[in-house]
Amino acid sequence: MSTSAAVNGATTDDVVDRRLQIAIGVVCLIGIGVATYLTYTHYAKLNVVCPVSGGCETVQKSVYSKLDGVPVAVLGLIGYIAILLSLAVRNELGRIAGFGIALVGCLFSLYLTYREIFTIKAICPWCVSSAVMMTLLTFLTAWRVVRVGPEGAPAAASNGKTVPRAERRRIERRQAARR
Amino acid sequence: MASRTKQKEEARARRLAEEQARTEHARRQQRIRMVLGTVLVAVVLVVAAVVISSGGGKSGGLQTGTTANSTVTEVNQLLNGIPQSGAVLGNPNAKVTMTYYGDYQCPICKDFTLSGGFPQLVQNDVRSGKVKVVYKAFCTATCNGPNPGVFNTQQVAGLAAGKQSKFWYYTELFYRQQGQENTNYVTENYLQGLAKQISGLNLTQWQTDRNDSTLTSQVNSDQATARQIGVSGTPTLIFQGPKGQATPNSGVPTYAQLEQAIKQVS
Repeated sequence: MSTSAAVNGATTDDVVDRRLQIAIGVVCLIGIGVATYLTYTHYAKLNVVCPVSGGCETVQKSVYSKLDGVPVAVLGLIGYIAILLSLAVRNELGRIAGFGIALVGCLFSLYLTYREIFTIKAICPWCVSSAVMMTLLTFLTAWRVVRVGPEGAPAAASNGKTVPRAERRRIERRQAARR
Repeated sequence: MASRTKQKEEARARRLAEEQARTEHARRQQRIRMVLGTVLVAVVLVVAAVVISSGGGKSGGLQTGTTANSTVTEVNQLLNGIPQSGAVLGNPNAKVTMTYYGDYQCPICKDFTLSGGFPQLVQNDVRSGKVKVVYKAFCTATCNGPNPGVFNTQQVAGLAAGKQSKFWYYTELFYRQQGQENTNYVTENYLQGLAKQISGLNLTQWQTDRNDSTLTSQVNSDQATARQIGVSGTPTLIFQGPKGQATPNSGVPTYAQLEQAIKQVS
């Protein structure tokens, strides 16, 4: 009976992981959209469509809009793409890398938001939305790391309940034969 | 028989479970190390990025190479095509005049010029000919610093560029490469370095004009006027138009606040 729980546990964990992956993918795509728009307006020298009068432009023209000459919008774009790509690496390394990139993005976004509020004293909703998405991604990717154990084995089932795959198959065969 | 097989099976399952638990434990330890390592690397990366970012905003100083090139390009994009005469930027017949009391070493002036409402004001209202900006010198940060005597030298360096209608290029370049307060960064090398970045500036002529006593008098009279009208800090912005006078009530006014002042006086 504990075996069937483990089998069921594995499948629900797989489902949870898949849902987390979809959620991460969706947030990444939105992030890529925002970052692409900001990168495009930066290089095309266009004004950003801004719901807060003047805020976006002030922020985009500030010294903090670039990191050693590289627009932060480009850094954001690279970050979102990297997190999206990390989903394709289906092992522990991929999950932890995704989390690491999201954490860097989230912490740096926090710093930039601090600069917006206290130094530039202007708010750019596009930038804030990107900061929110990076924070979301940090939670989602962290959840994946915690939730899914090494090599895809569900971490939740590791408390002595689980049985190695070969053994599980043997038990399942035996159960089937008994029926 | 059946119970014995069952016992055997159970014992085997237990053994396997124990082994499994051990490997799981080792794996978990490794995982924890990996996650902690990732967090550590992330924090180090962000700290480095923050240091670079704040450095760009704070330490400053005369730029060289590609950084200087990109700063010059930014300044050219902002100013090219807008008429200049002495310390005046924009159409001389503009309906509204914004007098900007500033000090080249004042960090709040830098914030206003770079990230406050100023760039947008230039782009929209000065470029269109609606507003002109008149820069007047008023010693604040420099006079609170270790070498107040350099105030006249630095402001005259700007006005000397103004004799070739390039005052605002010099001013923008100064603010964009402003050094950290109290570090005596305004040296002869620094002042000449800025002048060299201005394309089309005749350097020999600029050097000659720096000795023009009328420019020093202009700095002095700017300061006298400032004291007379009660200017106490920089930047102080005074808008004048057909409907009178207005001053945005903020250290680093946003574009919206500047617009409001323009509306009030025009």
